[in-house]
Amino acid sequence: MAKAMMANPDLRHPFEKQQIHRDGSATVLYQGRTTTIARIGKGQGLLIDPADLPKINGFTLKPEGACYGDMCIPIGDSLLVEQDGVQWFDLTAFADFLGQDYVGDTQSQVWSFAELPARRESMMVDAMAPDFEVTDRGGQVVNMADLKGKKALIVTWSSW
Amino acid sequence: MPVWQRIYEEINNPNFVILCAAQDTGGEAVAGPIFDAANPTYIQVVDPDHIISSAFNFVNVPSAAWVDETGRIVRIDEGTYSQSHVIGEGEQKISFGTDVYSPALKDWVEKGADSVHVQSAQTVTANIRQHSPDQLKADAAFRLGNTFRAYGHVEKAEHYWAMARALNPESINFIRQNLTLTEEGSAGETFMKLMGDYIGQGKDYYRPMDI
Repeated sequence: MAKAMMANPDLRHPFEKQQIHRDGSATVLYQGRTTTIARIGKGQGLLIDPADLPKINGFTLKPEGACYGDMCIPIGDSLLVEQDGVQWFDLTAFADFLGQDYVGDTQSQVWSFAELPARRESMMVDAMAPDFEVTDRGGQVVNMADLKGKKALIVTWSSW
Repeated sequence: MPVWQRIYEEINNPNFVILCAAQDTGGEAVAGPIFDAANPTYIQVVDPDHIISSAFNFVNVPSAAWVDETGRIVRIDEGTYSQSHVIGEGEQKISFGTDVYSPALKDWVEKGADSVHVQSAQTVTANIRQHSPDQLKADAAFRLGNTFRAYGHVEKAEHYWAMARALNPESINFIRQNLTLTEEGSAGETFMKLMGDYIGQGKDYYRPMDI
């Protein structure tokens, strides 16, 4: 293969090693969003402050359940955990409840959640484009809804 | 990138947009200069986490979807070269790409649903790669690896990228992105061997183009 397509040594490791977040915090990757949360509960899973839930994944806890827009998923109190008088929301148990996979590095407390299977259903059934959220080089957030009303070519490429 | 810009200018239709996503975990430092050299006016995205590929179940680059005004996909998952290319000389000469894709794209933008290149929802859904729960989890592992790489934790990055590859062995994106961390890069002997094995298993490097 041509040399021009091989790795540029200067770009293989362009990032200096640094701490991802301060001790006691966690970083959550959720469908394109990266959220650092200041505190977490103790345990095998990821216990978060319920107030952090909206910025992580857009859900809000209400009396009727975990709500995303008009859609509410009844969850009762089963996903709330109390430790030393502090109430936490078990985000990994919520993912299990939704059938959503995740990978967590418990040593570093960095957690990455997979796409919700339900979000793919419309594409697989009637070919409707899935929603996504990316940021363009000008800093503007672009999602699928922004492109509606126009024909769109959505194309990927890479330098490698 | 310059060819997509030329095609975008030739189409010159206010009701048509190109969203071009660079899947480089090196981020803006790697993809930015390539974009800048093309001076594009379409939507440029540096997508180190492969969000677009994940959304549309792409496994290789370049790949694309055509999405109509209503949000329905009318073509998807083809080796989306804007034109044919030849690199190298003699025995090292490699040809790739196609000259039929761009005219088809122009036809669709002009004629819409009347274009012969528009596919039915049934054909499109059949052409969308099915993703198992493991493959969805692979995307999560890949992004975890990317985060570690962005903070300079190379060993953890490699660990989670390897996990992603194991969970989704169909993804050429993962294979090649992972190889960018090696000295030989993403198109060296290891890549050639892996691709030889991949194709030897009867898998297509790109889905055959039906144009």
